[in-house]
Amino acid sequence: MLKIENLTKIYGDKKAVDGLTLHIRPGEIYGFIGHNGAGKTTTIKSCCGILQFDSGNIYVDGISIKENALACKKQVAYIPDNPDLYEFMSGIQFLNFVADIFEVNVDDRQMRIQKYADMLELTEDLGQLISAYSHGMKQKLAIIAALIHEPKLIIMDEPFVGLDPKASHLLKKIMREICEHGGAIFFSTHVLEVAEKLCDKVAIIKGGKLLISGTMEEIKGDTSLESVFLELEDVR
Amino acid sequence: MKKALLKKQLLESFSWLYFNKKNGKKRNSMGSVLYMLLYTVLFGVLGCMFYVLSLSLCEPLCALGLGWLYFALVSLLGIVLGVFGSVFNTYASLYQAKDNDLLLSMPIPASNILLMRLFGVYMMGLIYELIVMIPALIVWFMYGSVGLSGMIFSILIPFILSFFVMTLSCVLGWVVALVSSKIRNKSFITVVLSLAFIVGYYYVYARAYEMLTNIIVNAKSIAGNVKSALFPFYHMGRAAEGSGLSMLIFTGMILALFAIVYAVLSHSFVKLATANRGAAKVKYKKQKIKAGNADSALLKKEFKRFTGSANYMMNCGLSIIFMLAAAVALLLNREVCVETFTILGGEDGKIVPLLITAALCTIVSMNDITAPSISLEGKNIWLLQVLPISPWQVLKAKLKLHLILTFVPAMILTVCALIVLRPSIEFAVLISFTVAAYILTMALFGLVLNLKAPNLNWTNEVVPIKQSLSVTVALFGGWILVFAFGGIYFAISSIVSPFVYLSIVSIILIVGSAFMIVWLKNKGTKIFAAL
Repeated sequence: MLKIENLTKIYGDKKAVDGLTLHIRPGEIYGFIGHNGAGKTTTIKSCCGILQFDSGNIYVDGISIKENALACKKQVAYIPDNPDLYEFMSGIQFLNFVADIFEVNVDDRQMRIQKYADMLELTEDLGQLISAYSHGMKQKLAIIAALIHEPKLIIMDEPFVGLDPKASHLLKKIMREICEHGGAIFFSTHVLEVAEKLCDKVAIIKGGKLLISGTMEEIKGDTSLESVFLELEDVR
Repeated sequence: MKKALLKKQLLESFSWLYFNKKNGKKRNSMGSVLYMLLYTVLFGVLGCMFYVLSLSLCEPLCALGLGWLYFALVSLLGIVLGVFGSVFNTYASLYQAKDNDLLLSMPIPASNILLMRLFGVYMMGLIYELIVMIPALIVWFMYGSVGLSGMIFSILIPFILSFFVMTLSCVLGWVVALVSSKIRNKSFITVVLSLAFIVGYYYVYARAYEMLTNIIVNAKSIAGNVKSALFPFYHMGRAAEGSGLSMLIFTGMILALFAIVYAVLSHSFVKLATANRGAAKVKYKKQKIKAGNADSALLKKEFKRFTGSANYMMNCGLSIIFMLAAAVALLLNREVCVETFTILGGEDGKIVPLLITAALCTIVSMNDITAPSISLEGKNIWLLQVLPISPWQVLKAKLKLHLILTFVPAMILTVCALIVLRPSIEFAVLISFTVAAYILTMALFGLVLNLKAPNLNWTNEVVPIKQSLSVTVALFGGWILVFAFGGIYFAISSIVSPFVYLSIVSIILIVGSAFMIVWLKNKGTKIFAAL
């Protein structure tokens, strides 16, 4: 579903991502782990078409983002760590804006808005301006907006930051449902316990370079993901 | 503790002198001095204006033995300016201060926090009030019959009066806080209030001479009214003339009023400071949703961005109102307009069509909606980059907004101008076409400029709207273009007729627009994608 091949992104004279290769298959929840400044957000933004990269390539469902960015974006949804949404719109106006862009028909959008807004307990607040939303409410709105066109691939940057425990639990449930229906999820996180419980596969990155990747069992073996992560951070 | 609070308040009030609010960096000492000089000059210019006003009031009123009325009138002006300058500061620093929670969590009595905040409001009001009162006092000492006690009281009065300014600001600031927490369409209300202020300002400005004459002619009856209805002001005026009793009465009344407001505030300060002033909550009711396509969604989004910001509307779209007002004014003052254009058009009147076009284009170029439109995306830019839309679709939506909002009122104004000034049919068509081409050129020009000099890292939207290179160049560039075309015509008028010249101008505008469209579609879209 998502293939990252030798991705390199340079800022000035610093390589933020250095020859990164990853492959996320349909049905997988793929965790992306690394300390602050390791290159996670740069990688994620490159996969979403926000950042242009220097070399390598990214494929979404076999389509190169370099060659046909629009076709890739139609299949992807992105949820940033700090969702800066249009504060001059109300929640429902924003959701309709996104649905219009993805050309979601009226019945589908109505059904999905109702389903996810009810689930995340945001329905009553959809008439409010986004400027009046708390961080958590914005995060929930970004999640609903991401799900409104039934994307094949969801890319998330620290999706659990700012969410209350119930919303976090629901998001994990939604993520699993999407994968069960053949979708794929690629997300970054600092919360290793979440990654350990939720992810099918995981990749650890440091200084823009991939340290290790594989199934959760392959990576952690008999120990915990935290021990592996700290060990790798110290050794390399 | 009080010293630390006072220091913090002074730092907060005057940080603009030492720090650049745009980038948060400290100004160097030369920068601070220059900034202080700039404000001194600005206040000096305003002071000169009030000096002239004071002169025209003081002499005749003192001659009538109504020196106290002069002092009362200028003080009223001082109060208006003081309240105007400090009311929004009161709103922000007293009722909406961001550090209320921090200070309340510290071992500081709430009364000390309130006093410190009030000190800031007092200082702000005093500064604005002194812009009127310093020149008024100079004139008073020059032309009024003021003894030693009068002189001392006159100097003390502005400082006492500032307590009244502070009291009014506290009450009005509370009203502003209350109203702004209840209303939803704040931007439209701000625009309406700002327009009302502009209209009021020009009304007073246009009638200032008449009003002054009225005051002087009817001085005695006005004095009688002030004495009976506004007796604190009568006592203030009498105190300025040296009456100790009036000084006591005036000071007593001001301080008593302040004491009441302070008592109310200190009683409810913690409640006010910690009140959640979120907008009036509206429960969402499910309604029928209409689906649209990506282009219409982007255009709707641009409309919402425009109408959702009073700053954007006032600074980049004010000409919409001006064009409609000018259209009405043209129809109401037909004869004056015809006469003016006949005089400006010279003996044969052949340049009248050029003058009409120049006037229309000058007013049209005050709309610079596209010029900050890229920068205004700010931190939201990721949304347009992550959604499956091309950069050209985004740029097109921004262009459409400018064209729709400018073209409609501009054509109404053009039609009114053509009806009133009656050029020939050929010229009428050519003028309309040139104005339309000019609108397109300016819309594209603004967008090109903003793509060349975008600023996405603002924290206050005023920065891209008011203080950006693209907006300044778009606004003045439009006017320079009109003047340049005018200048060129006068240089070559002997060899080219106005009709041919206007046709050439139209062609230049269309060709220029075509070039900019090609640039936007190629280079512009790449720049946008890489932002």
